[in-house]
Formats: sequence, C-alpha cells, structure tokens
Amino acid sequence: MTITSPPGQETSPIAAPRAKNQGGGFLRYLITRFLLIIPTVFILITVVFFLMRVTGDPITAAMGGRLTPDQLAARIHEAGYDRPLLIQYFEYLGQVFTGDLGRTLSDNRAVTEVLSTYGAATLELAINAVIVALLVGIPLGLVAAKFRDRYPDAILRILAILGYATPVFFAGLVLKLIFGVWLGWLPISGRADWQTELELTGLQNPSGIYWLDALRSGNMPAFWNVTEHALLPALALGLLTGGVFLRLVRTNAIGTLGREYVEAGRSRGVSEFRLTTKHAYRPALIPIITVMGLQIAMLLGGAVLTETTFEWSGLGFKLAEYLTARDFVAVQGIVVLLAIIVAVTNFIVDVLAALIDPRVRY
Amino acid sequence: MTRTKNGLRLAAAVVGISALALTGCTSAAEDSNSGGSGDSSAPITLGTTDKVTSLDPAGSYDNGSFMVMNQIFPFLLNSEPGSPEPSMSLAESAEFTAPTEYTVKLKSGLKWANGHDLDSKDVKFTFDRQLKIADPNGPSSLLGNVDSIEAPDATTVVFKLKVANDQTFPQVLTSPVGPIVDDEVFPADKLLDDQKIVEGKAFGGQYVIDSYNKNNLISFSANDAYAGVLGKPANSKAAIKYYADANNLKLEVQEGKIDVAWRSLTPTDIEDLGQDENLTVHKGPGGELRYIVFNFDTMPFGAKTADADEAKSLAVRQAAAHLVDREAIAKNVYKDTYTPAYSFVPQGFTGAAEPLKDLYGTDGKPDAAKAKKVLEDAGVKTPVKLALQYNPDHYGPNSGDEYALVEKQLEADGLFDVDLKSTEWVTYQKQRVTDYPAYQLGWFPDYSDADNYLSPFFAKDNFLSNNYDNPEVDKLIADQRGMTDAGERTAAIEKLQTMVAEDLSTLPLLQGAQVAVSGKDVKDVDKTLDASFKFRLGVLSK
Repeated sequence: MTITSPPGQETSPIAAPRAKNQGGGFLRYLITRFLLIIPTVFILITVVFFLMRVTGDPITAAMGGRLTPDQLAARIHEAGYDRPLLIQYFEYLGQVFTGDLGRTLSDNRAVTEVLSTYGAATLELAINAVIVALLVGIPLGLVAAKFRDRYPDAILRILAILGYATPVFFAGLVLKLIFGVWLGWLPISGRADWQTELELTGLQNPSGIYWLDALRSGNMPAFWNVTEHALLPALALGLLTGGVFLRLVRTNAIGTLGREYVEAGRSRGVSEFRLTTKHAYRPALIPIITVMGLQIAMLLGGAVLTETTFEWSGLGFKLAEYLTARDFVAVQGIVVLLAIIVAVTNFIVDVLAALIDPRVRY
Repeated sequence: MTRTKNGLRLAAAVVGISALALTGCTSAAEDSNSGGSGDSSAPITLGTTDKVTSLDPAGSYDNGSFMVMNQIFPFLLNSEPGSPEPSMSLAESAEFTAPTEYTVKLKSGLKWANGHDLDSKDVKFTFDRQLKIADPNGPSSLLGNVDSIEAPDATTVVFKLKVANDQTFPQVLTSPVGPIVDDEVFPADKLLDDQKIVEGKAFGGQYVIDSYNKNNLISFSANDAYAGVLGKPANSKAAIKYYADANNLKLEVQEGKIDVAWRSLTPTDIEDLGQDENLTVHKGPGGELRYIVFNFDTMPFGAKTADADEAKSLAVRQAAAHLVDREAIAKNVYKDTYTPAYSFVPQGFTGAAEPLKDLYGTDGKPDAAKAKKVLEDAGVKTPVKLALQYNPDHYGPNSGDEYALVEKQLEADGLFDVDLKSTEWVTYQKQRVTDYPAYQLGWFPDYSDADNYLSPFFAKDNFLSNNYDNPEVDKLIADQRGMTDAGERTAAIEKLQTMVAEDLSTLPLLQGAQVAVSGKDVKDVDKTLDASFKFRLGVLSK
C-alpha cells in the first residue's frame, strides 16, 4: 500500500512508527540479534586460528634461512608451536576471554596497541570513503533517475557497475598512475608528508585521525596536506560503495518521482530541479542506511587492499604485513576486531531497519 | 524541455562541485609547506622497505632493526665509515689478555642520553641479558663462544671465551648482538617494548629518537652524550620513512620527498633512477651472496641415491660450475646491481680470493666443452637430470628470472635436463634439507669477517645440512679462527676457499652490491657504503 502525503510533508513508503504493543517483541528481537554476535565472532576466531597454522610458523618464516633443522626445531619447541593445536587453541581462547590479545610475534608489540595505533587510520579511511560514496552515489543517482532510460542514465549505470565491479587495488593503481605519476597532482602513498605526520603525532592526545587532529590544532597547511593524501585512497575505496549507492538511489528516486505527491507538485508548477532535490531524494536515502551496514564488511575488506596499495598505515595495511610474517597472534587480534566491528555494525543496522520498517518482523 | 534544462543544470552542478573540490585541494596543496627546503639545517630523510622487528637488541636479528640500532645504541667496538675493521668506540682498549680472555677497557665518564652512567655494569648486563633471554628472534647465538662476563671495576669488562684466541670476537662485538643497553631501563630477563625504550631515552648512539611510529616514521636528533668512534653527526636531525612497496619508495625519492632511498629498490627501478639527472645512484660493496646448494645425499649420484657414485656426483657439480654464466645473470636479471661471485667469500673481505674463476669455465665465462669433458671422463650419461628448486618470495622478486636463466644455461648444450620448481618459504625451509637435490639460498653476514661465510656453510653439522663433510676443511676452519697472526689467517682463508671450490658443496652465483639513491644535494652517501654493511645516517648532510 502506498502512503501519500501533501508535498513537503511526505512520509517514507517504508517508514512507520513502531506499534506500542510490539515493545516486548522488539526487545526479544534486539537481544536475539545481539547474542548472534557471539557465535559469529567465535566462529571467525576459530577459522582464522586454524587457517593461520596451515601456512606455517613464524619462526621458520623469519629464521629458516640461517639455522640448522635442529636449531629451528628447538626454537619452534621453545615457542610452543609444536604442541597439539587444540591445546594452543584453548589457551588462545582463554586469553581472548580475559581480554588479553597477546603480543605480536614478528615485532613484539601488544596487539591492543597495534589495534589502537592503526585502527584510527582505518576509521579515517572508512569515513573518507563513505563521504566519497555519498557524494558520488546520491547526486549521480538522482541525475540517473532524472534521465531515466536516456544517455546520461545509461552512462551513469555503466559507471556504477564499473565502480563496484573493479577490484579496489586495480582502481587504486589506475588512480595512482593517472593522478600521481602522469599528472603529478596528488601524492601516491602515505597519510601525509613525513613533516606533517611528525607535527600531528606530536600533538597532545592526538586522535590518530589526521584531518581531525589538523583541524583541532588549527593547522591548515597540515589539513590540506592530509586531504590531498587522502583523496586517492578515498576515491579508490569510495567508488566501490559509491556505485552501489548510485544504483540504489536511482531505483528509489525513480519510484519516488512517479508518486502522486510529486505529480501533484509538478502540476502546481514546482520546478523539476526542486522536485528532484527536495522531494525525491529524502525517501530515496532511507535504503542507504540498511545497505550501509552491508557495505561495512565490503569497506573493511577493501580497506586491506586500499591501504596496501597506498601505504596507508591502518589495520588493513598491518594485516597484510602480519600475514606475510605468519604472525598468528597479530592476525587473530586484527581479525577479531574487524569481526566485532562488522557484527556490531550489522546489529545496529538491523535495529535501525526494524525501527524504520514495519515489514521487518520481530 | 524544462526538465532537460534542469537536469543538465543539476549535472553541471555536480561536476562543478567535484571539480572545485579537486581544484581546491590541489591549490591548497601547492600552498602547503612540504618541507625539504634544502638548506644545511634541513634534516636528512631516508626511505627504506626494511622493517623494524624490535628495537631491543635481544629481540631482533634483521637488517631493518639493526639499521636503527646502529643510530641509537653504542658499541664497544664499531667500524668507522669506509672500513669494515673494528675500531675502539666506547672502548679505550680491547685485547686478548689471555688465550680465553678478551679484556675491554671503557672510556671513563660515559653517559646515556637520559643522564644515567654508562659503565661496565651496563656492558656485563647487556651480554648476560642476551644469553639469558635467548629470544628465538634474537642474535644470542652469536655469543656461542662466550662462557662468562666479568666487570671487575667500572671501566673494565672481561669476556671469558670457550675457544682460545677467537679472532672473530672483535667483529662479534660490532654485530647485531653488540649494541649496549642501559641496565636501569631494560629488564634483565625479558624484552622491552620499543615505546618504553623511547620513553626511557635509553640511547647511547649518535642519535636519540624524538618520535617513534613503528615501521612508519622515526625521527632522530643528535645525541650530545655520544662519545663513540663515529663522532658528532654531520646533520643535527634525521628521519627514516618506511615503505611497504618499493615502487612508492622509488617515486618518493624521484619527487624529492625523501633524500635517500636505501634497501630495497628493484634492479629495474635502480636502472631507471640512474637516468634521472636530479639523482645519484651510489654503489658499495655488498655482503649478500646468492648461491646453489647441492645435497650430497640426494643430488644425482648422491650418497643415498640408487646409483650412488662420489666421482660422478662431483663431476655433475663441476659441470654445472663450468656452465653457469654469472655475468649474464648479473646483467640481464639484476641490471648489474649484483656482480658475479667466483668465491664463497665476497670480494672486499680480508682473504677473499676467486678460485672458481681459475677452476671452472674460462676467465669467468662458461665453457661447455670443459663441462662435457668432465662428465665424459667420469662416465656420466647426458643429459643429467637435475631437480633444481628456488624460492619466489624470500630472496626478492627476480629469483624466478634468475633461476629460469640458470636452467637455460645448464640446458643450453644438452648436458643437463633441469626440472625447475619453486616453493613458498616456510615449506621450502622444511623441505630443503630432505627433498631438494639442488636449491637456491642466499646469505647476509652477521659481521664483516670471512669466517662468517665459511663456518656456517662448510664446518661439520652446518646450517645447510647438505651432508657435506670434509675433515680437512673442518679442521682448517676451526684453526683459522684462533690464528693470531693476520697473514697466516689470511692465507688459511684463501686456502679454505680453494679446498671448498674443489668440493663444490655450494655453487656461488652472485654477490650483492649495496645501492643507495639520493638527491644531488645529499653529500657523503658513498662514505657509509662500505664492507661493514652499516648504514650510518650521521655521515650524511645537505
């Protein structure tokens, strides 16, 4: 059933206030969804634990080329990697449940320190990418809807498909090549020039999100430096999600533009531009909230490749490094955190979806 | 019509905003202070792909960590720029006071950057700690000849050794096990976190660390308390920027964002950067050695094969030595960033000779006729089937090309039929001892002494575990370590190389060069590219 409203007071076709008598059901739904996080994370920890052991041990990876087999075996024994896997597994689980993620094997750091140091960079990249995705997806989605089944629409749909079908590392390399190497407009690696990094990391209580730290300290040259470093990685990762948003907005905007209240607006002489930008876009944005949750996992997966391509020192970048070093402890710690982020984000999205969409049963 | 106009207006607005945003960022970037003013007080920035494992000398044994340690920790003995030989650094004197006693007298009044006293207590603590922790990733194995350490007074340290007159011991004190640490900051029985080292200002080298962002960016300033052989740095500040991808390292040195790129640019990148008029490519002697290992049990005619025959097995190794064209590999694969290695001890080391040049091929070039004759004389049917293994992920991305060329060279005259395969590193390390008849390995020295290229490879029960055993070689290796007469020891090292060249337990192919690329305004890079293989930021200036 379609809900119609006078122009300017439209209601989303899928948004409706939650009925009061469903409070108990909603709470049960909340608890069930929340509890689902635990097995999700647990399964992931288990899979990563055993998969990492298949690839070999870190001692051999680091020292194999310099030790006799006996020396190597002795060191592996000292480190305890030759004990039964199940014993190692339960030991690790015990550690995790007490909140101790251990120390990295390849560079002797507390995993919690690694997570806090590099997590901010990944968060910054994710925020930048979402901004790009929204800036690309929403206006271009509206343009595509406006020119439905005409050339601009066709071109934009092709671009959208390219956006989310192109592997993020390939997009990154192409962007680096064009804007960094050929044109020389933008930096191709790092989060800032090293002088700027020194300034920002030297601040009192830095957040680790560089543009935020630059703004907080009123350091505009640093802000611009950080921004130009952030552009290419944000584009590479943002276009991935931007393509999805573009198609989503287009589909929903087409639906909205055909509604009675929009037609009524047209008949009253409201301009097409105003109809599109004011009346059609709001309802078209609602599905983005739900899709955003689903995109988080894709964003984090893409972040690993983007960070590696652009030397963006975040969790993804470190994860790739630790994987190469067969650093079980570090990889497990990072994956646990990423799993929790994805699970919690999906939980929040489920809750939001349940709140705004009466068709979600709880 | 109106709709179309409005739509176009909307599209134009979107494009316009995007363009403005980009332009704004770009022009803002032009205004930003990107540093690198080029004046003499500007800090020196070095870029590298070598990672730091740990700043704690007991917890790491790799080039990346040692490079930083060389800037921030003091050594009893250290090599001056341009020389691989140990000189007195914290030490005032260091000598054998008895066959198994090496006594070091420290300079008096030494201090750490944090104001703590630096005396014999720190030195004894340092080496006792290495032996006690014996971390799997650490270098404590280099102290294998140390029985105990005594500190009879504040400026005297006595190392009691197990083997008498160990002539490599002074070099050991300059090696990754040699950095002295502050006993008031470091714990005696466990590793210390990098950040705690920085917070404790436990520095006694040329520099102190001002800010430490591990494997991303480290900034240094001169340590006024340093009293070692390297003296005051030529620059007051320096920084190391870390890269994961050599391409980014290359581009940043090209754009002048860093002053020096050091380890590890690809041969193609180095060749490319050599064409850039704003840059200088510096090359120095390298200690890296790339070689083929023969397993004496499993190679063709090896001791545990069905048709075991020692003479035929030797002929196969000799034929391979006659056929490899090292110059072609160095030129075509490595763009001359490596040089042909005709010995087991790289050129630049005391006692290095080139016996393989005399014994095999002709003037260092391959000689198929000689290879054919040696096989015929031994009664070996050709082509000899040889399984050759290499590793694609540990010794650089060019290993595949290198070994494809070796395969081609061995097969060129129909004398060999090579079965070339590759395995990833961890599996490779497990299988090399048992499964591979002939395989690739590489070596980087622990310290700059020829012995470090002989003992680990050719002494009995060496790390290769390739079942090579020559009692004469074994004895001479042990003897030369204790020869106090330098001339006698050099002669023994030369003789050893010839003996091993006749046995061909391994087949050296290439010797690496140290390569650094710098901006034209950077001075004295060449000074630090010596056979000590220590990169010293303190010699560089702009």
